[in-house]
Amino acid sequence: MNVIVEAKGLTKQYGHFLAVDHVDLEVFEGEIFGLLGPNGAGKTTTIRMLTGQTKPTSGEALIAGYDIIHEPTKAKESVGVVPEVSNVYDEMSAWDNLIFAAKLYGMPRSERGSRAAELLKLFGLYERREDKVGSFSKGMKRRLTIGAALIHKPRIVFLDEPTTGLDVQSSRVIRALLKQLNENGVTIFLTTHYIEEADQLCQRIAIINQGKIVALDNPEKLKAKAEEQHLVEVSFSPSKDVEDQLKDLKYVSGVSRIGDKFRLYVENVSEAIPMLIDFCRENSLKIVSINTLKPSLEDAFVKITGLSPEVMTIEKEHAKKEESLG
Amino acid sequence: MARTWIQSLIKAFYIAEKDAGVYYFKAPNFTYGLLMPVSLFIAFSIAGQINSSQIVSGLTSLVILFGTTSIEAVAVVLEKQTGTFERLLAAPVSFFTILFGKALAGFFFGLVLATAVLVPLTVISGTFIANPLLVFIAIAFSSLTFSALGVLISAYAKWVPEAQMLSNFLRFPMAFLSGTFLPLELLPAQLGIIARFLPLTYSVEALRISINDSAPTIAYLLDILILALFSFILLVAGSKVLQRRLE
Repeated sequence: MNVIVEAKGLTKQYGHFLAVDHVDLEVFEGEIFGLLGPNGAGKTTTIRMLTGQTKPTSGEALIAGYDIIHEPTKAKESVGVVPEVSNVYDEMSAWDNLIFAAKLYGMPRSERGSRAAELLKLFGLYERREDKVGSFSKGMKRRLTIGAALIHKPRIVFLDEPTTGLDVQSSRVIRALLKQLNENGVTIFLTTHYIEEADQLCQRIAIINQGKIVALDNPEKLKAKAEEQHLVEVSFSPSKDVEDQLKDLKYVSGVSRIGDKFRLYVENVSEAIPMLIDFCRENSLKIVSINTLKPSLEDAFVKITGLSPEVMTIEKEHAKKEESLG
Repeated sequence: MARTWIQSLIKAFYIAEKDAGVYYFKAPNFTYGLLMPVSLFIAFSIAGQINSSQIVSGLTSLVILFGTTSIEAVAVVLEKQTGTFERLLAAPVSFFTILFGKALAGFFFGLVLATAVLVPLTVISGTFIANPLLVFIAIAFSSLTFSALGVLISAYAKWVPEAQMLSNFLRFPMAFLSGTFLPLELLPAQLGIIARFLPLTYSVEALRISINDSAPTIAYLLDILILALFSFILLVAGSKVLQRRLE
């Protein structure tokens, strides 16, 4: 397969802070590649280096065969960039935003209008093309930002947290659009901290933590890495916060709380279940439900990064809060 | 090579065209660009501190300075804050082209403002312009220089209030030290030396010469050359400062 993005030893240091630490990765043409990690892991910095928006402290990257440091203009011609925050001009209409993007990418005048119309129709914004973008919803701005990144028919599109802060419906629309784009041959490189999103969309995922790529594989293989650890999901009656007590149990290596359920990471299910029954007796609890689970990508993430299972949940809640405030 | 330069220039014009629509050509910006210099001149004229021959060159230069820097100094800051600057950075356009495009928007705005002041002023004061082409060249280089100054301020500032504070910190001393209200010969010697480091001095001088002389004098050519140098140095400095700020 044709390699369209190749990073070797990509490093970014801000003073004493090492944001990205010798990242090596290859992205193949036509795939959806995900960079998954918690906030501050180095995802955005990596994408900014790969798209020529910031210079690496060391290392190199080839985009569509061009060195992003020494031939940035050539490299950028093959790339579309969708940053985390939608960056269309509020004061301009949707149409003018796309035409301006087309001009920046050097598209001939004869092609600009037809391509802008095609994209506005694809993204369901054609009827609002003359309206100022300032009046658009967050989801509409996001779609227009993606449209602006696609105006010049790039071979690869980089998307930084494409659905963060969007409502469920808008997120679904964006995911469907990304799948459609990929089916049309566009390579997608996205960063996300939504594990399910990476699982649903990506053919390969790199997990990044503290600036380092700690795993790179397809989602199923990453899940398989977590299979030596077993999961038991249990809920009790009466519903009490017994998380700390569960953590102290002999065969339990970790506990996370999801609603009224506790997810226990155990080494051996057959030993863990009798132990749980004893625990209930001692604490006057009844088991309402108990399930053993196949490891998810989230479990793989937790196992690989060594991060607390709550980290991603907290980030999801934070994003939802931002969404409701926005 | 030549093709790349032409493409860069065309893209700089597209950026200028966008900036003109989004930031510059709006009624409040015209008002502010004119209001402050005109008020200063009226105040000094009433106090008898200024002769009528200085008004045309001085006021035109001041209008260009205030008009261009007011918007230019915040244009990049606003784009950094809203994230739209990333759109420009991600495009196949060099850093210098982006800033040159931004300076061009200020340049055109300066031309329009200067014309809006110069034409009625010459009619009212009965001033005869010896060589309109020389006046246009002086206005053009003044606009480019002050626009480049705005770019440098905008590159350095993180927030709009910081950009405004920096603009005023530079504009007001310049307005009083550059021979705008008082001929340079009347300034104390030390201030006269400082004046020679200020671009407004050369703008006022070039305009005054071009209004009075039909042929370019050596002093005029020197003024234009110095303004061109200021433009280049300020743009390169703005580009370096902004690149460092964005890292």
